[in-house]
Amino acid sequence: MEAYLLNLVILISIYSILASTLNFIMGYAGIYSLAHAVFFGVGAYAGTFVATHFSASIFFTLPAAMIAGAVLSLILALPALRVRGEYFVAASLGLQVLAVTIFSEWKSVTGGIGGLIGIPPLDIAGFEVFKPNQFVFVTVVGLIIVLFIINRLVHSSFGRSLRAIRDSESAAAAFGKNVPLIKTISVVISSALTAVAGVMYASYLSFINVESFTLDTSVLIMAMVIIGGTGTQAGPIIGAALLLLLPSLISYLDFLPQTEIGSIQQIIYGLGMALLMIYRPGGIVGLKKQSGGGKK
Amino acid sequence: MLALQLTITGLQTGALYALTAVGFSLIFGSTRIFHFAHGATFIIAAYLFYFVNVSGYGVVLGIAAATAGAIAFGLLLNRFVYVPIQRDEGSFFTVFVASFGIGIVIQNIVGMIFGRGFVTVQTPLSFSVELMDGLYVSPLAWISMLCAVVFFGILWCFLRYSNLGLSLRALADNPELVKAFGLNPRYISACAFTIGSILVVPAAIISGATSGLNPAMGHHVMLISLAATIVGGIGSVAGTLLAGLALGLAESLALLYVDSQWTEAVTFAILFLFIIVRPSGLLGRSAAH
Repeated sequence: MEAYLLNLVILISIYSILASTLNFIMGYAGIYSLAHAVFFGVGAYAGTFVATHFSASIFFTLPAAMIAGAVLSLILALPALRVRGEYFVAASLGLQVLAVTIFSEWKSVTGGIGGLIGIPPLDIAGFEVFKPNQFVFVTVVGLIIVLFIINRLVHSSFGRSLRAIRDSESAAAAFGKNVPLIKTISVVISSALTAVAGVMYASYLSFINVESFTLDTSVLIMAMVIIGGTGTQAGPIIGAALLLLLPSLISYLDFLPQTEIGSIQQIIYGLGMALLMIYRPGGIVGLKKQSGGGKK
Repeated sequence: MLALQLTITGLQTGALYALTAVGFSLIFGSTRIFHFAHGATFIIAAYLFYFVNVSGYGVVLGIAAATAGAIAFGLLLNRFVYVPIQRDEGSFFTVFVASFGIGIVIQNIVGMIFGRGFVTVQTPLSFSVELMDGLYVSPLAWISMLCAVVFFGILWCFLRYSNLGLSLRALADNPELVKAFGLNPRYISACAFTIGSILVVPAAIISGATSGLNPAMGHHVMLISLAATIVGGIGSVAGTLLAGLALGLAESLALLYVDSQWTEAVTFAILFLFIIVRPSGLLGRSAAH
């Protein structure tokens, strides 16, 4: 039971990082990405590559993963953010589909469909973290650091520019804001922080393969943000916790077919997304029919 | 000879892509609704045809069921999801998320009923005939191209000459003005959804016999539709048609150089190139901002 709870807390922390970083671009900058799992995956593969070839110290793996995530997101964001929001949705969907092919074909780095096994534990200044009761501290502290960074950014002048852009791009541009630049920076920051979650995930499971970084994962993360509450700090965490608890809740209900838990989970959050958009676009945490938050 | 073979296969794929993408483009262009569940319409039509066909009711009933299912889904979604959201000035975001959510629900319901693996519609029409030495073409290739020509011919006449077609184009230009002229935008939107959903049906049915069906293929359909809409130029039905055809051809001809798992990479490369070089698309009228 204790192991089960620890595992759950670790996964909720990792997914909370993913949801919070996606919320940073979705909720505050109004950029809708269907490729969040790609940066999660890039972080995981880059971190693993460094850990197995050079050093498992987080002072090497984390920067390597963050740089890889940031560079890739820059390549996507630079052209796709010069134009309207629909273009970014399309480009990120394309990137997600392409990335799954690359993750399963680039066997020397990603191990192909079989994935990579025996990923070394996190090495924090010579101290190896692999026991769940130690790892849980690392992920929770990681989450707190990421939340702190996002919180500082959101409440800085940069964050105000982001919200100005979300609410009206032309107004922000008229006030002299460089809209494409600000959006691009926000995507790069978000992707670099997402890669951190990838490193933690890889060394926690000590096994990764392409299954964890598919479009389904991107959709799951997006559902966490939307159901929890876009543009709020607590929303993505509540969303992550809710959606990760959902499979265990479903398995308590005996009348549902147990083999279809994955499908039932997806149906519930798909329906949840649609119903929330009709009745409560701000999500669970957001105010009902508010003008900020999820709308616009 | 391989190049010719791939060109014909590419035209077949491209004709189906064009039909699907024009359906999305027409809805998006005239109503500004980011109908991400267009992929789900495709799934519903394809599996309804498959179900009716497998149960032994024949092709005609199958086509009728697929068409009815596609139209019903489009209209219900418009009436019970998009209209309520737009009532309080729903943004691009709210509409997209709701549409996306419904798409996930449909994908999983279909997966639970029919299984998540591939299924294929069995028909003698998919057997290839040797036209020339080393050139194999199945009758379905000609049927796909014929469907595209017929459907686009009707669509073009409809948009050009009928009053309803005119009001559809008017809605794309200026919804307020449409209201001022005493037309009902909600009625016109419903028509756009009907036509857009019908356009998916031939592609859905033929794909069932050629490439096979899988509940998760809605995302692929959406990627193609979005790419063709952007490459063709948002708001331009003719541009989307050309782009859909070109994407199908490019995917097929790319097989001369790369393995088949990279065909989606070709679509992505073309989309990305257009976003960088020409965001307004092939036939787009204004800048994309």
